[in-house]
Amino acid sequence: MNSFNSLLDGFASALTLSNLGFGLLGTFLGTLVGVLPGIGPALAIALLLPITYTVSPASALIMFAAIYYGAMYGGSTTSILLNTPGESGSVITALEGNKMARRGRAGAALATAAIGSFVAGTIATGILAFTAPSIADLAIKVGAADYVALMLVAFTTVSSLLGASQIRGFIALAVGLVLGLVGADLQSGLSRLTFGNQAAVEGIETVPVIVSIFALGEALYIASRFKDLGWNVIPMKGKALMSRDDWKRSWKPWIRGTFLGFPLGVIPAGGSEVPTFLSYSIEKKLSKHPEEFGHGAIEGVAGPEAANNANAAGALVPLLALGLPTSATAAVILVAFQTYQIQPGPTLFLTNGALIWTLIASLFIGNALLLVLNLPLVRLWVQLLKVPRPYLFAGIVTFALLGAYALNASTFDVQVAIAIGIVGFLFRRFGMPITPLILGLILGPNLELQFRRALQISSGDYGTLWASPLSQVLYTVLFIALFTPVITRVMKKVRKDAHA
Amino acid sequence: MGSLFLLGLIVFWDTARTELPAFNLTVSPKVFPYAIAILLMVLSAILFIQVLRGNIAVPEGNEPGDPIDKSDYKTFGIVIASLLSYLLLIERAGFVIAASITFFGITVAFDNKRHARAAIFGTIFIAVIYFSFTRFLHVPLPAGILKGF
Repeated sequence: MNSFNSLLDGFASALTLSNLGFGLLGTFLGTLVGVLPGIGPALAIALLLPITYTVSPASALIMFAAIYYGAMYGGSTTSILLNTPGESGSVITALEGNKMARRGRAGAALATAAIGSFVAGTIATGILAFTAPSIADLAIKVGAADYVALMLVAFTTVSSLLGASQIRGFIALAVGLVLGLVGADLQSGLSRLTFGNQAAVEGIETVPVIVSIFALGEALYIASRFKDLGWNVIPMKGKALMSRDDWKRSWKPWIRGTFLGFPLGVIPAGGSEVPTFLSYSIEKKLSKHPEEFGHGAIEGVAGPEAANNANAAGALVPLLALGLPTSATAAVILVAFQTYQIQPGPTLFLTNGALIWTLIASLFIGNALLLVLNLPLVRLWVQLLKVPRPYLFAGIVTFALLGAYALNASTFDVQVAIAIGIVGFLFRRFGMPITPLILGLILGPNLELQFRRALQISSGDYGTLWASPLSQVLYTVLFIALFTPVITRVMKKVRKDAHA
Repeated sequence: MGSLFLLGLIVFWDTARTELPAFNLTVSPKVFPYAIAILLMVLSAILFIQVLRGNIAVPEGNEPGDPIDKSDYKTFGIVIASLLSYLLLIERAGFVIAASITFFGITVAFDNKRHARAAIFGTIFIAVIYFSFTRFLHVPLPAGILKGF
């Protein structure tokens, strides 16, 4: 029961008065930003990153956990009341939840989303607490060549599962890899792609890239085409409460969603889209009221919301144990860790054990704070949806620029941010997914490092890359993912069912 | 699309022209850039062929065949100009002035009619952010010409 004791220690250090204060602030701010239309959890965390630059690592982690859950919940609120999902994981919530809201059942939809997220988050964090350390134990034995294979698999699955077109996913990945190249090579000191710019030698900071590719890109995109469109906020009547019947219809989808979402988060399956769509179609099949689906069935909100949350917790397993982010949100959390000089990976539990257990305890706390804070405050969040769009975008853009500058007090980062904002706009316009780009930028340098390490150990023999059994298995998976688009076909079918 | 191919070429060219440092490494720092450059060029060629065959780009969330509105370059230009003004002013005039101008510029781009209100609200909003970051969170932001207030 070693994990259990460590977890208790984690709670002890997380539950100080000031840390709880940071937790509450994080929940509040996370929800506040997450509610704003068009802002998903990845962007919310990236936007709020500057706030934590100067607080201690333990407090910052608690704030992150709280911001993370807050932003996810804020996103579902917006999806339900406004039908504008901020991320692919809340597309289903928007679909079914918005229909519920139209039928005057907004309160029940919001409540089942919140309580379902809480249930799923708590169970999933529990599984995380007891699986991540043992996976990390195994991962210590994973060699450099296996890491190369692992990263290539993550690249392939994320690039080919997200978005409509495989080729566009890979192009996004390649652009990210190019951005990751910029700067001095770690081993030889050779300047690559800097074109004589001194500031560029240090490489491109990931925070300005993430913030601006979402925030500035989106602002430019909306500015160029939809600025005249209005939003249709559905008024919420009554309180965010569920009837006895709602509870009866919700609890099973919550549990099923949790156990669907968590494992699909652990393996790099391309984020939260697959589990939420799957959960939706399973609930539709199992429901006693299949005719209600598409017109506001509560199971269609409860299941996918739980799956979404459990999926997010599942994605933390490869992140903490292997240092491998598998979604945009996980990538942002990885960057947040790196600003504290913490490198997630197999050795993390040894070197920074106390901090990780604090983080896991914070996830439990953040989840609970969310429930306590948000159900009563839901009316306040609804008011936020009425912020006029010019102010909304002006606020997002100035905040993004602040984050880009404040990190290093450098105008080079602002230049990068603006340039990347334009790239983000082009990506939006031409249907390119953004997550592969972020993964390429963050993991590219890491891939190169492990690749060289493997070849150094074998003194230049490329055969080492596929010598171990694990890497052979991984390459087989890679080829299956690449050349048999089974999964994409299944996804298309599920998607069609969901829209039908 | 062409620009993607060009990006691949740039990476290729930059890698080819740099001279290797003298010491001996098992894997040259050029291997990776070359691989990425080639990957990018191959991918853009494939995309080009796909587009020629009618698989045109569609923004996420639109279905193929949906009408795509023409881009509004005036609005786009105002937003870009607001972003650039921030870049130019942040260190010269300070955060409050630079960010307030950007804020105002973007409300103009999004067709806000009440300019005075937007300017006042934006400046107050930015000032609040400035003070909460510098005073409470101890994140330094440039004071610029308003130093001393």
